[in-house]
Amino acid sequence: MRSKGAQISIAIVCMVLGIMLAIQFKTTESYQANLVPARVEDLTQQVQSVSEERDALVEEVLSLREKLKNVRETDQAMADLQADLQDANMSAGLIAVEGPGVIITVNDNPRELQPGDNPNFSLVHDSDLLMLVNELKTSGAEAISINGERITAKSEIRCAGTLILVNWNRIGPPFVIKAIGNPDMLESGMLIKNGYMESLKVLGIQATIEKAEKITIPAYSGSVKFTFAQPVKYEEKAE
Amino acid sequence: MWLLVLFCLMIGLLIGMQVPVFLSVVYAKYMSIAVIAALDAVFGGIRAYMEDNFDTTIFVSGFVVNTLLAAGMAYLGDRLGVQLYLAAVVVFGVRIFQNLGIIRRYLLKKY
Repeated sequence: MRSKGAQISIAIVCMVLGIMLAIQFKTTESYQANLVPARVEDLTQQVQSVSEERDALVEEVLSLREKLKNVRETDQAMADLQADLQDANMSAGLIAVEGPGVIITVNDNPRELQPGDNPNFSLVHDSDLLMLVNELKTSGAEAISINGERITAKSEIRCAGTLILVNWNRIGPPFVIKAIGNPDMLESGMLIKNGYMESLKVLGIQATIEKAEKITIPAYSGSVKFTFAQPVKYEEKAE
Repeated sequence: MWLLVLFCLMIGLLIGMQVPVFLSVVYAKYMSIAVIAALDAVFGGIRAYMEDNFDTTIFVSGFVVNTLLAAGMAYLGDRLGVQLYLAAVVVFGVRIFQNLGIIRRYLLKKY
């Protein structure tokens, strides 16, 4: 039975087997290259590098703003506009400011969670910070920051998982809200009966307010860029 | 005989490496079962060849049908939610080792 036919068929089948093996090898190789853990690591690395890039860009923004300021200062023709510009920058949050005001510290309820407790009631939420900032503005605060993030006209205060986004930076408890303004006004505005501070305390959230003689509030570190909004021409505005 | 088998396997591997065919990850699993079945068929054929009861029809049909069936069973198992490919792996694995053992004994007897 050891015929030519047998050998030929074995040869052909072996060839087919070889082709299948080779394709399988190739597929397995390329498959292992993008296994899930590798992908997670890859993404983590990407996030890290992008974050580093962002930090570098933030520094660049600050240094460029400094240079711009220097240029403006040397130009004597612009000198009369400096005061106006300073005011505009201050209200836009583009320069660090200091002055008397209050420091509010808000932290989660320190009590251990019992079974059945809703953890949402003992945490500080984005809405709490929003309300406090709103109250501060109502009480005449001129500059506000939360954990070193300057609140500007474009700042958001938003829940992001377990943390809170302010100026697209993540901040976590304890939250330190600094506000510059008349300290007595600010304090009485915040401690008003049935005010928001009081309702936070009722929930067990730690909220303290103290007056300070000198508070420094940093500048907004992001870039200010308008893509869609255009200033309306003076003539058009006049009518 | 042995040279022929190795030679054809080499040629097959070379062709497979050159052919620009890539399986998607979804089908790679079925292909692996098919490869196991094909391996089993080849070892079975070699064993039959050494026992002098080789039948071309049985060998070729066994190769084709076992390969397709193994892949098909694995696919069916996936659809049913049962890891049926494990059965194929076990059965073919056991048979491959049995065939290898018999081939080894023949070779030892021969030389």
